[in-house]
Order: sequence, then C-alpha cells, then structure tokens
Amino acid sequence: MKGMTVIVKTISSWVKLLIFLFGIYIILFGHLAPGGGFAGGIILASSYVLLMLAYGREFVEDNLPLGLASKLDCVGAFLFALVAILGLAFGGAFFANFLYQKYLPGESLRLISAGTIPLSNIAIGLKVGASLFLIILTLSMCCHYEAGSEEPNDEEE
Amino acid sequence: MLYALCFLLFMIGLYCAITKKNMVKIVIGIVVMEYAVNLFLIMLGYRTNGIAPIIGKGDLNPETGQVLSSFINGSVDPLPQALVLTSIVISLGSLALMISLCIRIYGKYKTFDITKIRRLRG
Repeated sequence: MKGMTVIVKTISSWVKLLIFLFGIYIILFGHLAPGGGFAGGIILASSYVLLMLAYGREFVEDNLPLGLASKLDCVGAFLFALVAILGLAFGGAFFANFLYQKYLPGESLRLISAGTIPLSNIAIGLKVGASLFLIILTLSMCCHYEAGSEEPNDEEE
Repeated sequence: MLYALCFLLFMIGLYCAITKKNMVKIVIGIVVMEYAVNLFLIMLGYRTNGIAPIIGKGDLNPETGQVLSSFINGSVDPLPQALVLTSIVISLGSLALMISLCIRIYGKYKTFDITKIRRLRG
C-alpha cells in the first residue's frame, strides 16, 4: 500500500519539479500564449497527483496538508474577487483593466504588459490547482474509508 | 454533415445514459453528451484553412501597434473556444460530483446496478 516500485518513485521524483515548473510557466504566460490559469492549475494539481500515485496518499498529505490546500483555495478565490473589485474602484467598471489603462500604455506582447490579466491568471491558477488537488484527495479518502476503515465521513470537496 | 455527426455523438451519449444499468456507464454517457455539445460549439467558430487566434509579433502593424486585418480575416473565432473552456471547467466539477455520488452509493449498497438499488437505507 506504500506506493509503487522504486523505478516509478525515482522517475516521479525527478519529473515532479519539471511538471510543477511547467505549470507555473503556463500560468505566467497565459496572456501571451495558449494556456492560462485553468490549464496551469490543472498541471500543478497533476504533479501532486503523480506524487500521490507513486508514493501513496500519506506522503502527499504530509507535503501539502488539507488545511493548507483549503486555505490556498480560498486565497485564490479572494484574489480573483479582489482584482475585480479593484477594477471597480479604480477603473470605473467591474474587472476594468486599470493597470493597463493608467500605467502601461502602448506596451504589448511583453510579460508585464497586460495589466490585471496576469494577476487574475495567478489567482485562478491557485484556485484551480488547490481545488482539483482537494477533489482528488477527498475522492481517494472516500475510497479508503468505504473499503472498510472507520474514519468519519465528513469530507466534502 | 459534420453537425450531423455531432448530433450522432450526442445521441450515442444519450442512449448510453438512458439504457445502461451500471452507474459508471451512465456517467460516461453524460460526459460523452457534454463533449458532443463542446465539439458542436467549437465547430460553429471554425473557419476553413483558418489560423489559430493567437497574436504573435508578426501580426501587429509596426507603426501603429494595431492588429493586422489579414490576421482578423484569417483566424478562427476565439469566442466559442473561450466559452467551451468555461464549459469544460463546469463539466469537470459536475463529473467530480457524479463520481463522488457513485462512490458513496457503492459504499452503501455494494453495487453499481441501478435496478438493485431499491430500498432506502438509513
């Protein structure tokens, strides 16, 4: 029950950092290239799912506990709402791109060029990654306690 | 013709969702229906020999910084793709909900067959 063979463990310990870095790249360049918050968040969560498959659920729970993942989820949602409200406050409309209008006129196709769009991409990436990680973790917990243990069944995603 | 194939895929999913007795197969049928609708929406925005709607360095006018009209006339419609991305997110959430319901029902009744789930158990 303690994970897979040593080949899978070694390869996944090499690859996990690359997958995580690729997810961060997809999130940060979401306004220039295909990708964005959702796809990058899925990739971030899939690196943790790889660890979960290779090492077992307890290892991943020690690495990223449920409470911290839940807090990251909430922080992503609040950041996204904060970007929207700041657009309402400074730009005059909900989700107005106030940074682009005031501070970055004429710049395009750079990394820091799209105003608030990379900020909301980062927020969505946090939200999607943490919540997908939570969904898969709670589903695997669900399977475990249905298989015969007597854990309490209060987990919700 | 292609729209008819989309409709056929939707009907296959509907058939699977209605006639199968295994809960996991019903979930698969619902997901096939969702994918048929997504495919239909994507094909609505398709343009023959179109290019991907991603603006690169070569697609801007060097003097004014505006997007060239040849890019606008040649690219496919990006709006259905963005909407389908949202729809994929929603279908992911509903898929997680359906799978968790299946796991709970299996834990309570020890079967996936919907004809064997008859009695209410507390």
